[in-house]
Amino acid sequence: MQKKIITLALGTALALAASGAYAHNSHPNDIRIGAYFVHYDSVATDISGPFTPPGLNTSIGSVTTLYLAYVRTLSAHFQVEFAFGYPPVTYAKGKGPATVGSLPYNGKEIASIRWVSPTLLLEYTFLSPRSKWQPFVGVGVNYTRFIDRQITAEGAAVSGGPTSISLPSSVGPAVTAGVTYRWSARWHFNASYSVAQVNSRLTTDTAGILRSNEVHFWPNAVVVSVGYSF
Amino acid sequence: MKKIGTVLCVAMAVLGVAGCGHNSPTGTVASTHQRGTLVNDPPLRVASLSASGLAADLTAQPSGSSLLQLAGTPVCGVDVYYLKYWTVAPDDSPQLASAALMVPTGPAPSCSGPLPIVEYAHGTATSSTYDIADVTNPANPASAESAVIAAVFAAHGYIVVAPNYLGYDISTLGYHPYVDGAENAIVMIDALAAARKALLSTFTPQTSDDGRLYVTGYSEGGYEAMATVKAMQAAGETVTASAPSSGPYALEAFADAIFFGQVDIGSTVFAPLITTSYQHAYGNAYSQTSDIYSSTYAAGIDTLLPGTTPLSTLFQDGKLPEAALFDSTTPTSSTGIPALDTAADQLLALPSSAQYGASLAALFDAGFGTPYLVNNTYRVAYVDDAILHPDQAEMAILNHQTLTSSDVGLAASPAVGLRQDLKLNDMRNGDWAPEEPMLMCGGDQDPEVFFLNTQIMAAQWSPYLGTLVNVLDLNATPSGQFAPLQTAFQTTYAGLVAAQGPSAALQAYHTTEVPFCMVAARDFFGQVQ
Repeated sequence: MQKKIITLALGTALALAASGAYAHNSHPNDIRIGAYFVHYDSVATDISGPFTPPGLNTSIGSVTTLYLAYVRTLSAHFQVEFAFGYPPVTYAKGKGPATVGSLPYNGKEIASIRWVSPTLLLEYTFLSPRSKWQPFVGVGVNYTRFIDRQITAEGAAVSGGPTSISLPSSVGPAVTAGVTYRWSARWHFNASYSVAQVNSRLTTDTAGILRSNEVHFWPNAVVVSVGYSF
Repeated sequence: MKKIGTVLCVAMAVLGVAGCGHNSPTGTVASTHQRGTLVNDPPLRVASLSASGLAADLTAQPSGSSLLQLAGTPVCGVDVYYLKYWTVAPDDSPQLASAALMVPTGPAPSCSGPLPIVEYAHGTATSSTYDIADVTNPANPASAESAVIAAVFAAHGYIVVAPNYLGYDISTLGYHPYVDGAENAIVMIDALAAARKALLSTFTPQTSDDGRLYVTGYSEGGYEAMATVKAMQAAGETVTASAPSSGPYALEAFADAIFFGQVDIGSTVFAPLITTSYQHAYGNAYSQTSDIYSSTYAAGIDTLLPGTTPLSTLFQDGKLPEAALFDSTTPTSSTGIPALDTAADQLLALPSSAQYGASLAALFDAGFGTPYLVNNTYRVAYVDDAILHPDQAEMAILNHQTLTSSDVGLAASPAVGLRQDLKLNDMRNGDWAPEEPMLMCGGDQDPEVFFLNTQIMAAQWSPYLGTLVNVLDLNATPSGQFAPLQTAFQTTYAGLVAAQGPSAALQAYHTTEVPFCMVAARDFFGQVQ
């Protein structure tokens, strides 16, 4: 089902893009800058592996980062958005017992992860292209790549030593809903709410001992931005 | 500059270019397979327990409370590390093995800085998943033994090194070189070398080896500890003091006693471990397993232990008899030499109360039944050989003689392959004596590893008794510095008898001794600086 949605979204976006820019709009290109307020609804399985007490889990903290996007108008009611944020550093926190042995665990930041998470969305706008208010909904695909993974001192202590982290990239569906308010021919204000699905497997390597857990994020982001059309 | 790198990194990541990003380091991995090489440096810390945390963990378990009472309130916290290191098998092939390193922690002066090392050899384990580093995992069969050495030694300021023998945990050898003294001494020496390297890169690198080395172990580990002392002395390395406990040191005499009908508890488990070990090492234990074992059990017995199937399942599935080592319909010798046959038939007969007393006869008698493990042909051949080529110590014990250093000699030239191997690995072999103080702890009613092992070694080393060589019989009338431990053991055992009955208590005798002998070892080490 997930693959079908992604294929459909990409296929439609490409088909519309190939048909050329919307002829009525003299400013079919749009760049946006703003803020991403990202909250990670994450669910993870307990960490498993050798020398791992039961009940150890992780959670991901919320972040705010820079939002950048390029939007191309395709027709009177369709546009495609390529959005990405400045790679935020998020912290994985221990979730489970207060201590592991005598080491604090629950709520402690055990790893920092920087990630790039570009999203391609095909969006439908509801009102006239000349309307000041343009509500829209969109569907698309999110690609998430974890580019900087560092264990914290507390994480290394509880893991048992210097630890490397692997988190394979993820491709998943994304949806959005929002509104654009145009106060001039070129300038506009945008607000939207987006949810994507990111699945990965966190694997740590401490002195050759591998531990892992499945992590499923539903990063839901509130975006506030200003845009410029050209 | 860093920002430019990040921007480039982001761009590359957006475009899907691989090779971007950073990851935490994981330490170094050794590329050589030389003996004593530490594989991962720094090693993995698997547990970090404060002194109060360790006390609380122990108090939460019934056996832990009594251990805590005996060992004393922890002075230090304990960090437990899991080491992988390289050693060699009996055929000299490189083997990967693992060990525990326990490092005292905490603010007390005796918990950091230069500290002595205790190297501990573990007891017989039937599960191949045995890992003495997995101290906080109650599902690991080693966790109880781990808790004892953590509470007795590491929590009182001793760095502990405890290898898992080959055949356990990550070892891929496929069998365990059981009571192969020279081989397990190599494993102990190599684990110690790796642990000394690991000490430099722990979370508490200020804690270091102060040069004092104490060696101890219990049961099989008692034997391996003594073998380690022997090997290290031969290599010119100093062992500050040692305390092998309840070990089968006098293997030849011990095995002869068993074949003469004095069947010990656990013999149906020990037998396949020994024959598999010696067959791999020397190739002369048998041509095929059915040379020794009855047709009921011979098939596959050489791959049974150590394994992943619980002993209880092996018993239920008929892979091993629980107690019947020998046929209850005892065989007779038929060499045609009347004196030999007569002597052999007496030793092959069921143990009698007249010979051993009622309780011992009942204990030994449990080792006879049907189906049985060792076939009659082999038992007769072994007993005949033990009469023709006697172990002098066992013969002296049979004749109720007081053992002296002049009558504990090994068999001159045993003909049965297994007896040749037992002689080779018997700790009397090699004309040696400890050069530094040694305490041999045990109990004279031990039904599993008979105290005759300690008595024979004590007789062999009688010129050194009371000086270099010391014996602690937990069951003797309390006296001397260990009187409180002797009293405590006897009180504990009497409590077991009252609670569980004499038979069940006897089954637990050998295990009950463990913490008492280890505390005795610690007290002894404390006197030898």
